[in-house]
Amino acid sequence: MRQISAAYIKAAKELLREKAALFWTIAWPIIWVFIGSFSFTGSVPQQVVPYVKGSIAISMMVFALMIAGMSNLPASIAGDRANGLLAKLKSMPVKPYKDFIGRISAVITFSLLAAALVIVIGTAVGARFTGTGVEIAQAIGFVFLVICASAGVGLIAGTLIKNLQGAIMTGVGIAVITSAISGILFPYEGLPVPLQTFARVYPISSAQASIVHLLAGPDMIAYNPLTSGQITLTIALSFALLLVGTVLYSRLGWKLE
Amino acid sequence: MFAVHVENLVKTYDSRRVLDGVNLDVPEGESYALMGPNGSGKTTLASIIAAVKTQDSGVVEVYGNKPAQAKEFIGYVPQENFSSPKLSGKENLVYFANLLGYSRSQANQLVIEMLHSVGLSEEADKRVAKYSGGMRKRLEVATAIFPGIKVLILDEPTTGLDPAARRSFFSMVQDIMGRKTSIILITHIGSDAELASRVGLIDNGKMIAEGTPDELKRKHAVEDVITVETAVNTDSVLSVLKGYSIDGKVAESETGYKIYARNGDRVMADVVRSLDQAGHKVMRIEMAQPTLEDVFFRLTEKNLQEATG
Repeated sequence: MRQISAAYIKAAKELLREKAALFWTIAWPIIWVFIGSFSFTGSVPQQVVPYVKGSIAISMMVFALMIAGMSNLPASIAGDRANGLLAKLKSMPVKPYKDFIGRISAVITFSLLAAALVIVIGTAVGARFTGTGVEIAQAIGFVFLVICASAGVGLIAGTLIKNLQGAIMTGVGIAVITSAISGILFPYEGLPVPLQTFARVYPISSAQASIVHLLAGPDMIAYNPLTSGQITLTIALSFALLLVGTVLYSRLGWKLE
Repeated sequence: MFAVHVENLVKTYDSRRVLDGVNLDVPEGESYALMGPNGSGKTTLASIIAAVKTQDSGVVEVYGNKPAQAKEFIGYVPQENFSSPKLSGKENLVYFANLLGYSRSQANQLVIEMLHSVGLSEEADKRVAKYSGGMRKRLEVATAIFPGIKVLILDEPTTGLDPAARRSFFSMVQDIMGRKTSIILITHIGSDAELASRVGLIDNGKMIAEGTPDELKRKHAVEDVITVETAVNTDSVLSVLKGYSIDGKVAESETGYKIYARNGDRVMADVVRSLDQAGHKVMRIEMAQPTLEDVFFRLTEKNLQEATG
């Protein structure tokens, strides 16, 4: 337990002291909550505006979670490999899985902190949410799936890309591009048909659509992401990404030869 | 039982043998320097002893156990800086103490003592990003001297340090030597290796000589070393100097040429005269006792500093 908490505390402190991580994970989504809330709601009926703002805040929350998992996590892994810490840890009686649990727990904490801040700021600029207690619980479950899928992609990038800058840029690139083409940053209904199909398959955009559906209302999303088939696919692919990432990291992440 | 025992060690990368039948024994409490150029295999050897990498064949034992089973005895300081620049010196050490199983309160207590022992008490709460290279390296050595560690492996610890920082670093290492900790120092710098009680010279994955610094110098570099600096370095200068150096071996360095000769005083006068007759101006000529770098050159005809780049 001490090894897990040591890895957790170190990774959490590093994330909170890393200006780039703070900017991209917290400041950047918040900036877009402001821009989106005041720029993209002009032609919307007044009574709907709070829920449009709510859906924007949710989308930016998902984007923050993506950046945390896809960029901050691989940066932490690749950075420690590049600077020799991994070699040091391999020489010590440290279990790789404990380092993994501590590291990923810190990223999850940081993700949730970022998500909470984005939602608070969104609420402060007028976002409103609907949803019963059960729907809120379901939405939290989809947030968990976003974290799993993002962390899975991050683990794959951090394990396979040995270079620190390469790992960071790959993570940011995947997050920005996939969120742009899957209806997270731009409306689903404006996407061409092949990308609409991608948006339904990609577990993160599917989970985002589900959260919007649950907390901002079904009118805020152009399809129903809460069918049993869609939910099953989202859950399966989220866990599959995390599983692949975990297996790769545990087999190759500590390999230095 | 040796603290470290290595027997017929072989390691291959992409069909190239980076370690080719290496043997090494380090008794408890001994400081041992492993000296060689880049690519000689010394870092690979250190990382195998430190359980970071595994060998293809051969035996490696730390206190009679495979390195992976003896990690609690091993303190390894890789060449790269591994301490987190975003954490303070104290936070870094507490992290490693927790990894080793110390509770938070035990770690806090122990870390204060360790920071004192490496001379960083006053910098304990400063972020490592603000440390000098020497301070950072001392902090990283502290991560490798927790109680119970019996074998300290330092890989090129003085790379990038200025002379004052190197002196400060080695005075700290000498304090550690007093604790009966065995030290394996990986280096390409002769003056660093001189501090060890025994030195192994490694080249192309093979141990080419081993002994105390004095033994190595007596056995392999019995001559005087004459350093000659001329206004210009040409083949003609080289040709003259080769005529005066034993075996015709001339080492080139940034400060001039080095030749090896017996009766150095007489040879110096002859060299100046011959160069003058050949039309070359001698800017500086001096004689010195051989160093471990000279021993390495005499054995391999490789200039250690240049080979290391």
